[in-house]
Amino acid sequence: MVVFPPTTPAELIALILRVITSHTFITIIIFPGFIHLTLVVIFLTWYERKLLARIQLRIGPLYAGGPGGILQPLADGVKLIFKEVMIPYKASKPLFLGIPLMMVFLSALPFAVIPFGQHWVIANIDVGLVFVFAMTSLFPSMILIFAWASNSKYPFLGGLRSLFQQVAYEIPMWISTLSVVLLAGSLNLVDIVKAQEKMWFIVPAFLSFIVFFIAIMAELERLPFDLPEAEPELVAGWYTEASGAIFMLIFMGLYMKLYLMSSLVTVLFLGGWWGPAFLPQPVWFIIKTLIVATFIIIPRGVYPRIRVDMLIKTGWTRLLIIALANIFLTILLINSGLLAAWGI
Amino acid sequence: MVSLVIPSDISFVVLTAVTIIGAIMALQAKELIYGAIALAISFIGIAGFFALLDAPYLAMLQIAIYVGAVVVLILFTIMLVRRERGEEMDKRTDAAEGSMGLWLAGLLALAISGVVALAGTSLPTQAPAASLPVSDLGPALTLQYPVPLIILALLLSAALLGALVLAKVER
Repeated sequence: MVVFPPTTPAELIALILRVITSHTFITIIIFPGFIHLTLVVIFLTWYERKLLARIQLRIGPLYAGGPGGILQPLADGVKLIFKEVMIPYKASKPLFLGIPLMMVFLSALPFAVIPFGQHWVIANIDVGLVFVFAMTSLFPSMILIFAWASNSKYPFLGGLRSLFQQVAYEIPMWISTLSVVLLAGSLNLVDIVKAQEKMWFIVPAFLSFIVFFIAIMAELERLPFDLPEAEPELVAGWYTEASGAIFMLIFMGLYMKLYLMSSLVTVLFLGGWWGPAFLPQPVWFIIKTLIVATFIIIPRGVYPRIRVDMLIKTGWTRLLIIALANIFLTILLINSGLLAAWGI
Repeated sequence: MVSLVIPSDISFVVLTAVTIIGAIMALQAKELIYGAIALAISFIGIAGFFALLDAPYLAMLQIAIYVGAVVVLILFTIMLVRRERGEEMDKRTDAAEGSMGLWLAGLLALAISGVVALAGTSLPTQAPAASLPVSDLGPALTLQYPVPLIILALLLSAALLGALVLAKVER
């Protein structure tokens, strides 16, 4: 029996139990909310180092506990927290300290609409895809402001490059998702996944999958598109001046964004939570997402960096044209009735 | 039952405060970058108004386009045009200009309240019961309002062509 306001200790305990076993609380705090996101981010930092090491025939993290040094991120985290945060001379202090926090916040917020399972979604809203679009479109300005706030030349150059890149690739990225929206007939991410029960959208919308994947590589500043943090030229790009806890926050934000974009690929093209019934839905979702993340990480160990003019040209001329042409292709495909067997 | 939903009156007051304070800070900021950030905050407040009015799609696009794209453009312009710190930007507006602005704002408020008072009974007193689904937006645009849509498309093409003409370098 839950009473509000509670008068006896037993009622208080009942109320607390009721709150922490409620669906809202579990989805926000445990899965797919804070705890799950933190664990995944910690795992991804270790996973990237280990994977790159194995690609380059090195061993990678080894000593920090567990199999394969899996506790290395925790050791790194402790080290970074206890390091001094250096604030450059004449830097804008509130922006320099505030923007990294905003980055973590903004990259965690879109997970509110990502469906990890039919009932494992925090907010099932009608404009889910546009919500993710709106949140990720704030990143370029965050990066530019942080680069400016550092009051140093390398971050500033890196910030400008990041801006060029993200603006050039955001447009083909979101235009390529339009064909998925046309196929599913909805902007709601849950409905988009439900429409893929019989056929994953990677098959009818293969071209837009390619465009979207290339665009998110650029959006995440992954190789071969990591011009904003080109080590030989710009030290570390827009986060050159970040140190200690600020550095850690920025990296949490970046890895959360990597996970966000991978899960978006899973939702839009790889059938979201659908899979054989012997595993629960969220497990299928996480497996698919980690596979996508692996394919985003692998080029870092393989490819060299491309030039700025090639990057801008590819974004504005090639990808945008393909993405636009793909919309008409998808409309033809839908109206031809070829996909009727799969209920599209 | 415990209701966690904030009454819309409180949200309205908070959003109004955010929007107006953001707008004032955007005009009064000593450093242009802070002004751009304050403008972004003001835009977020306006997006909140759209969300309050049961138009989530418009709210999201307001954030994506105004906060995401327009503010980036403003920041970019500021950074490319001037790099020195803004000490000499102090006292951008003096008292006379400030009071003039207040008078103008008061006049505008008076005019709007006058129009509302004149319209009086013909204005709807209650919002439509259910918000429209997003999927109705496309048919409404293409079937009910095709002419404004075409005019908008022409306007945007003209802007694009104009930008091309301005940016083209004669070789």
